[in-house]
Amino acid sequence: MTSQISLAPPSTGGERTPVNGDSAHPRARTRGERFNWPVTIALLVCTLAVLIPLYVTLTMAFKTTAQAVDGNAFSLPAPFSVDGFVQAWTLTDFPRSFAISIGVSVISVVGTIILSAFAAFAISRNWNRRFFRWSFYYLLAAIFLPFPVLALSQVKLTGLLHLDNPIGVAILHITFQLGFSVLLFTAFLRSIPEELEESARLDGASTAQVFWQLIFPLLAPMSATVGIFAFLASWNDFVMPSLITSNPALQTLPVLQQIFQTQFSNNYNVSFASYLMAMAPAIIVYLFTQRWVMSGVTQGAIK
Amino acid sequence: MHPQRSTPLPALSRRSFLVGAGAIGAGLALAGCAAPGGAAGATEISFYVSKPEVIGYFDTLIAEFHKTQSTVRVIRDSTSNMSADFVRNRPPDLGCWNYNFSMVQFVERGALSDLSDISEADRINPDIKPLLAATADYPGRTSVIPYSLTAASVLYNRDLFEQYGVAVPTTWDELVRVCEVFLAAGISPFFNTYKDTWTVAQGLFDYTVGGMLDVSAFFTKLKTEGTAVDARSAVSFQKDFEEPMTRLGELAKYANSNAASRGYGDGNLAFAQGKAAMYLQGPWALNEFAKTNPAMKVGTFPLPVTNDPGDLKVRVNVDLALWIPEVSTKKDAARQFLSFLMQPEIQNKYNADNNAFGTTKDAPPTTNPALVGMQQYYDDAAFYLGASQLIPSGIPVANYAQSIALGSSPIPVLKQIDGDWARLALRS
Repeated sequence: MTSQISLAPPSTGGERTPVNGDSAHPRARTRGERFNWPVTIALLVCTLAVLIPLYVTLTMAFKTTAQAVDGNAFSLPAPFSVDGFVQAWTLTDFPRSFAISIGVSVISVVGTIILSAFAAFAISRNWNRRFFRWSFYYLLAAIFLPFPVLALSQVKLTGLLHLDNPIGVAILHITFQLGFSVLLFTAFLRSIPEELEESARLDGASTAQVFWQLIFPLLAPMSATVGIFAFLASWNDFVMPSLITSNPALQTLPVLQQIFQTQFSNNYNVSFASYLMAMAPAIIVYLFTQRWVMSGVTQGAIK
Repeated sequence: MHPQRSTPLPALSRRSFLVGAGAIGAGLALAGCAAPGGAAGATEISFYVSKPEVIGYFDTLIAEFHKTQSTVRVIRDSTSNMSADFVRNRPPDLGCWNYNFSMVQFVERGALSDLSDISEADRINPDIKPLLAATADYPGRTSVIPYSLTAASVLYNRDLFEQYGVAVPTTWDELVRVCEVFLAAGISPFFNTYKDTWTVAQGLFDYTVGGMLDVSAFFTKLKTEGTAVDARSAVSFQKDFEEPMTRLGELAKYANSNAASRGYGDGNLAFAQGKAAMYLQGPWALNEFAKTNPAMKVGTFPLPVTNDPGDLKVRVNVDLALWIPEVSTKKDAARQFLSFLMQPEIQNKYNADNNAFGTTKDAPPTTNPALVGMQQYYDDAAFYLGASQLIPSGIPVANYAQSIALGSSPIPVLKQIDGDWARLALRS
């Protein structure tokens, strides 16, 4: 939370401080502050759009089944019950499915960062060659291919290659994340002066050394951004693991959670308890890394 | 600021990430290899059952089965995607699945093996076989063994009926009188939930059609019409369904005034709280009432749509059916577990616990007070498959039923269904 607050004001404050000396602007500034109701209201609505569902998730998770179906989503849990968590824990075999979800996400994050950094480095340093330019467009084109379009062929292919398991899911996550990540990395790489690389080469560094010891460390903020996007995409994915993974014992958390809700029965307390447990890592990861998400996106945008 | 911060980061993360990822990857790969091999000597079969509320029961059955013999090990699967399993040619060895339109593609393409030669096939109640064939059929094969049958009709609040001294209606006129009694007492006769269109389709739509028409005969004739379904054909929706749909419109007048904005969950809550006397849902809702009002006394009766009590019928669907895919390499082991599941004491207990009716000739009558009202109709085979289940899912019949319930004139809507049916027939 503190990182979010400390990040935003300095960037705007930085613009304002010099402006303060200008005699024409203080009025504009106070007027802007006083009359910025539309923005405030819009932001308030946005905040509530996140906070209200989060509040309902929290309270629902601690309700009894009888209270969860009583039609009052906003009431506080009375009596307070952790029964939902207990049921969700056993029904999803939480420790195992959680470990598999984490495993898939970690492989997909690491793979995405390394592969797309490789590709982006090669492409941005060989931009004058047609092959590399076209391979960039080729990778970008993948952004426009959603998974459902390719679902059945991927199911068949992974089945043939015995990749119908979490490893296959992680590999597919990497490939589907590649286009967007290469785009981010390439934009960021253009902001790194080529002189740095030349000086390293003058000192006798090989391409591998240049990449691992110079470029990759410099890419760190962007790697964080790419990693967070890859993590969220992988952690929250439902369709791909549900289609690709054939062994039910190796299924990820979001897929196992589908059993809580059917056409004929509602177990809001159990499902929300489970959602809460599944949401926790994503929220925690984002809380600690949001600074890099923001800085990474803006750094990639400015050449 | 950034270089300082970022230099130690990649060095740390690169190594530990790679080690961690490698360890996890190796673990997963090993687990993946371990699964098909399994315990030495025993045949491992996968058993698919996806009804969340019965997973626990089947887990105890699997444990019992493992105690009785050591040659077959059963692995339960509740999450696989069925189409994906068939696409990669590795479907579950034994399926226990809802027998509805989702099964049609597997049955009609011959993906399920013939089970006519096992002894359990002879025990199946012959009245149920036409129901199976009406949903999906592969010529010359017994593709599935039905496991449980769900009968649905009008659920009524027995306390309210007693309190206002009304008897269960057996004719349309009696039903209207019952409604008037409750209306005069300020109680909503029906609680309808139009927001969830499937509730309109399975309730108002199916009950009014099934109470008036011979549903399977209608659809058999309709299929022979091919693309020529319109006002001039021998049967058509606009000709045969007009009367039931008029009844639907009349019944909708006796519903709660906020029906348009209420969904299935709201209906369960309101009915359990005694806010309405009757509710057009199946026995699957009983467990939902129990969450709010465990002591509730519920009864069932078939919806009278005509003035002839002989027309009374209940809506049924084959809830669970067992099947073994053609491509399974462990058919014998799967059949062994199928026979275990079909033992009378196991199957009957399942059906009694889950508000369902049996599928065998020797199935005992239900003792569930909420279902006894339908036992006689089940025994007499006075039942029908829901018409909404026999219309291909490409035709949004639930939405059409909703618009009639909300006040549309039936004829234009039924003409639309005829047109949809004809277009679908032209394409297939």
